[in-house]
Amino acid sequence: MAEINSGDTAWILMSAALVMLMTPGLALFYGGLVRRKNVLSTIMHSFFILGLVSVTWVLWGYTLAFGPDTGLGIIGGLDWLALEGVTGEPSDVYATTIPHLAFMAFQMMFAIITPALITGAFAERKRFKAFVLFAVAWSTLVYAPIAHWVWSPDGWLFGLGVLDFAGGTVVHLSSGIAALVAALFIGRRTGLIQPATEPHDVPMTVLGAGLLWFGWFGFNAGSAVAANGLAANAFVTTNTAAAMAAITWVTISWLHKGTPSVLGAAIGAVAGLVAITPAAGFVTPAASVVIGLGVGLVCYGAAQLRLRARVDDALDVFAVHGVGGAFGALATGVFATAAVGGVDGLLAGNAGQLVTQVIGVVVVGAYSAVATAGILFLVNLVVPIRVAGPDEEQGLDLAQHGEVAYQV
Amino acid sequence: MVIAALVSFAILLVAWILAPEQPTATVQEVPLPETQPLAA
Repeated sequence: MAEINSGDTAWILMSAALVMLMTPGLALFYGGLVRRKNVLSTIMHSFFILGLVSVTWVLWGYTLAFGPDTGLGIIGGLDWLALEGVTGEPSDVYATTIPHLAFMAFQMMFAIITPALITGAFAERKRFKAFVLFAVAWSTLVYAPIAHWVWSPDGWLFGLGVLDFAGGTVVHLSSGIAALVAALFIGRRTGLIQPATEPHDVPMTVLGAGLLWFGWFGFNAGSAVAANGLAANAFVTTNTAAAMAAITWVTISWLHKGTPSVLGAAIGAVAGLVAITPAAGFVTPAASVVIGLGVGLVCYGAAQLRLRARVDDALDVFAVHGVGGAFGALATGVFATAAVGGVDGLLAGNAGQLVTQVIGVVVVGAYSAVATAGILFLVNLVVPIRVAGPDEEQGLDLAQHGEVAYQV
Repeated sequence: MVIAALVSFAILLVAWILAPEQPTATVQEVPLPETQPLAA
């Protein structure tokens, strides 16, 4: 058994804490984007998931995602139910220089933020009780299997050679597609002439984006699961792509609408962070500049198309996380270089890697779409997913939570 | 202990399904303070 490395352990525990902070950051990011009568309910989605998935992950999520495979590369077994056998000693399989519990905790933070991302799609109209049931089911039936496919050494997509350094497919594509399905299922918000609203608090959203950016260093650089050169590469590519996408989005919106949007800077940065997530440990800093430019253009276009299509994905989860995640996964297949992560992509002469990435994107996207639709249908049979019209009119803060955010 | 942990979560899950849909306590409106004219 390998010895525990104190540097690696410190970095992964710190990274887990950084990723944890992303979920409250997401709450602020989304909270600022909605109308003031729904800010608490929007924040509550993320904050409640922080508690909910922390518990389900310990009880059964971790073993389904990372437990010893049941035989087909589809799902982990129940060997580590309630973390039985997951101790302070290193795992034989994962991150062998840190305590297994540290690896579990790091992965838990990913499992928490992924369903929280989806909540932006049904903001301002989802019944809280239905949201809770959906979150439990989705993290169990969608997130855990996909994480197993891609990140477990026995997972079937891992076996195919799909590259996903920190969650471009597992986290962002899966949640982005789920968001689109949820938005279509629940329908448009009542009374909106256009499927877009003015954010009630842009500084709150920018603060949230800043916290996300900060936490993303743990998300991506922590995914090296060691304090080493690969982590440093992931740190730099992460910052570079976020920066490039932020200034790209601002530039496009400036040219398109005549003003350099502050909100655009925040959303653009998140798009860049999403796109570099699968690539951070496989590409060079120079490639991350190109990826940042590309995702800024593509996600801005996707957001405009979403508006034209009148799909009320209220906070553009699909345009940023779905499209950005798919873009990043494909970009990994293009720009990967063995000098960084041990695998070459298209530009280094390995066209097959891009094909593999396409398979990963299609499979993860299709599974998330179908499974999410099934979960929404079943939850809707138990509890209506959408709140009643008068409650939507009143605002979910008061109607669902009995509280208001502001007294002035 | 594993069973106890699972049962603990199951209790909460049942409670969420049975929980009321509307606030059962009335929300107290906090009156806004009177605005004072600025001193000349």
